[in-house]
Amino acid sequence: MNDKTNVKLRLNNSELWGGLIGLALGGFVIWQGVKLKLGTINDPGSGYVLFYTGILMCVFAVSIIISAITEGGPTLASRWDNVSWGKPLLVIACLTAFSFALEPLGFLLSSIPLMLLLLRLIDPVRWTLAIPVAVLVPLGMWWVLERVLLIQLPSGLFGMG
Amino acid sequence: MDTLVNVAHGFGVALLPINLLYCFIGVFIGTLVGVLPGIGPISAMSLLLPVTLSGTPESGIIMMAGIYYGSMYGGSTTSILVNIPGEAASVVTCIDGHQMAKQGRAGPALGISAFGSFIAGTFSLVALMLVAPRLAGIAIAFGPAEYFSLMVLGLVVLTFLTQGSMPKALLMACTGVVLGLIGLDSITAQPRLTFGRMELIDGIGLVPVVMGLFGVAEVLLNIEQAIKRDIINARITQLLPTKADWQASAGPVARGTVLGFLLGILPGGGAVVASFASYALEKRLSKTPERFGHGAIEGVAGPESANNAAAGGAFIPLMTLGIPPNVVMALLLGAFVIHGLQPGPLLITQNPGLFWGIVASMYIGNVMLLILNLPMIGMWVQLLKLPYNILFPLIILFTIIGVYCSSNNVFDVYVMIAFGIIGYFMRKLGYEPAPLVLAFVLGPMLENNLRKSLILSQGDLWTFVQRPISAACLVLALVLLVAPLLPALRKKRKLVALDEGA
Repeated sequence: MNDKTNVKLRLNNSELWGGLIGLALGGFVIWQGVKLKLGTINDPGSGYVLFYTGILMCVFAVSIIISAITEGGPTLASRWDNVSWGKPLLVIACLTAFSFALEPLGFLLSSIPLMLLLLRLIDPVRWTLAIPVAVLVPLGMWWVLERVLLIQLPSGLFGMG
Repeated sequence: MDTLVNVAHGFGVALLPINLLYCFIGVFIGTLVGVLPGIGPISAMSLLLPVTLSGTPESGIIMMAGIYYGSMYGGSTTSILVNIPGEAASVVTCIDGHQMAKQGRAGPALGISAFGSFIAGTFSLVALMLVAPRLAGIAIAFGPAEYFSLMVLGLVVLTFLTQGSMPKALLMACTGVVLGLIGLDSITAQPRLTFGRMELIDGIGLVPVVMGLFGVAEVLLNIEQAIKRDIINARITQLLPTKADWQASAGPVARGTVLGFLLGILPGGGAVVASFASYALEKRLSKTPERFGHGAIEGVAGPESANNAAAGGAFIPLMTLGIPPNVVMALLLGAFVIHGLQPGPLLITQNPGLFWGIVASMYIGNVMLLILNLPMIGMWVQLLKLPYNILFPLIILFTIIGVYCSSNNVFDVYVMIAFGIIGYFMRKLGYEPAPLVLAFVLGPMLENNLRKSLILSQGDLWTFVQRPISAACLVLALVLLVAPLLPALRKKRKLVALDEGA
């Protein structure tokens, strides 16, 4: 009974998932290498190094999987024990939204809300400080880049920034 | 005599007002990022890589080098006063440095760290001057087989020294090679792994990858846990170490300098491993090892000297062979390439002004750092009080701007955000990004040299074994690959494993 529980625990671990992702990536690289043509050892083709790197990736991934199954490892959830996992998630969400807004809205209209969100959502900074920082820093950067260094930032549909 | 003439020529370049300004900006920013926890030399250098485009190659590279060795100085301030390493190479300084500060000896700890760094930095520059031209002379005879084997060795050493399991580090290195091969094949011009996207034809840029994996991912990791700051608020007085402090520190500084320099030259080695090795050595040599961890000045003097000497030593493989031994040097290689220069055995003869100018600027930079770090310590302490909840949005904004400016392309911002997210999950699952980044830079060179040697030898794989340097590198790499399978060596590897990404 105890052995069965152990096996179950060993299969449910983050190391195993990491190894499986590595194996899938390795398989994909091998396939791409074959698609690009391996050539010969006298005249290696474009896929030659990719193919053998893919094989090495699979070997290392299998070694990770074997060690995960035989030695066990922490569960995925335990990797986020005792930490505020919501905070990085919020930052990732903000950055993803920013990446979609950058081109259509331009640098200023997308970075000011991004700064405000980051300053207020994670470890809230008081409004009287958050607003000036969120407005003045992107504005200052924009001025230095656009006017001093003459680097054109995305201006968006409204032509601002 | 030749060396003296070259040094004089180098000072002629380094003392130009514009180069002095760039050197100052570099060491100032280096100290700043060293002091600030959560942003290291890798993030700062990739952020400023596009800025180097605006000046001459000398100015840009002088500034980038200044950031690197400047951060080694600055990192110790945070370790001693806050007990948080400002950058990875100062992790070990926290142990005794902060204890000294708690005992009211923050001044001597900061002082010996600055003087030790200065002595080590100066020694490593003298050694760089003497070793680099001779090594470059030998390296001219290197063929593609030697280069291929050296790069393999560099990658294996780095994966050997990376924290966590070796298969994970090797998997990361292979992933880095694959990412480095995205874009047009340099021999056949066939697009590889571009998935029909025009933006990928030239490959993925180094800056978005590094900024994502080190800058954004570091922020994501830092904000999920409340960083406890135990800042020493007492006024820092008497920065000059006493006679007794000097007596206790002279040996550790000397040993740390030599050890750090040698470890810095090794491909895959660097400042982090040098500082840990020096601490271990001093503890082992000490007649009173029980004082270590409770404010022993030797535990500050040795590692701080070692990491600065290693920073100088790391320039040797890059300048003489064109092979970056660590991620920071890979970024410096990026700066060379941006200016159309190829570091390698011919750099010293073809661009003496550049090489000797950089070396001379490092002397000047070391003096500037001593001035910046001792009298201005109060300013750096004030900076440490900047809360992280204000600092991290600024870091994110600067990374976005830095990445955009490196290529004027929004696609690179997407790449950086994607690598930031991937890097965060990688680190959570115990996959270190350093082997990936080094392999990403070395990947195209590795492939090129492998294919060239196979074509030249008409497919004879013995070419890698028949050439002595190539064979030696491959044997060493093989030993390091097999070593973790032996229990005794596995234990030793865990002792020296490092966290390059921090």
